[in-house]
Amino acid sequence: MPTITPTSEDTVIYELCVLYPANLSQKEEATLLKEIEGFFSEAGGKQIAKDAWGRRGLAYPIKKEIEGNFVIYHYELDPSKLKEIDRQLHILPNLMRHLIVKPPKGYVITKYSEHYVQWIKDRSTAVETEKKEEEKKLQKKVTDRAKVQAKRAEAQKKETKAPAMEKEALSEKLEQIISDKDIGL
Amino acid sequence: MKPQKKQYQKRDQQQTMDPRLKKCPFCAKEVKHIDYKDYPTMKPFIDYFGNIMKRYYTGICLKHQKMMKAAVERARFMGMIAYRK
Repeated sequence: MPTITPTSEDTVIYELCVLYPANLSQKEEATLLKEIEGFFSEAGGKQIAKDAWGRRGLAYPIKKEIEGNFVIYHYELDPSKLKEIDRQLHILPNLMRHLIVKPPKGYVITKYSEHYVQWIKDRSTAVETEKKEEEKKLQKKVTDRAKVQAKRAEAQKKETKAPAMEKEALSEKLEQIISDKDIGL
Repeated sequence: MKPQKKQYQKRDQQQTMDPRLKKCPFCAKEVKHIDYKDYPTMKPFIDYFGNIMKRYYTGICLKHQKMMKAAVERARFMGMIAYRK
């Protein structure tokens, strides 16, 4: 998708998000969208992109509506005419909410459906990687435990061996002491 | 300064993470703007009741916390995120 840069210095690119109720008839919907687009065309705006999200549940009821339709426009417009458009949008009936935002530099326009698909893909891959990491951790734990056990076993063996050696040494010493080689009788 | 560092290292070994040691996840990706339409990126920084989580707990830097606040407030206004659950 294209990154957005205004064609001339006098114009700025704006992003308009529009929310209207989901239970409008098709005629009402078409007229509403036409009116919105009409405001911009009157002011000499140039449409760059239009993305309809479709029917979507709202997080809280707005004007007693639980569901709404979102549409996102990108327009190139003279900034001096923005205030008038904002005022007209406020007056429009059937329009629940609208938000005009100036997207930052290097903003890439992506369609909502594509974004959603990408998100689901990322999420599934993230889950897989997490599983793999957990398995790795488990393996490391098992190997570490085995190592510790082996070390302990070795240490125990050494401990058991050492006193035996001492016994031999002791017996030798005892014999040395007992034997009376020095005494020449 | 040195004794403090040693303390932190000890805590790491005990696997109890100090919230002050967290690093900003947006700085790691060099994010320049947080979009209010992008719910998945905002979701981890909103708690069960719909409040924006404190910087102390999430580890976000101040710059990105301000962007996050703006994005969440816009999304709330448009009815994409609840003000209060």
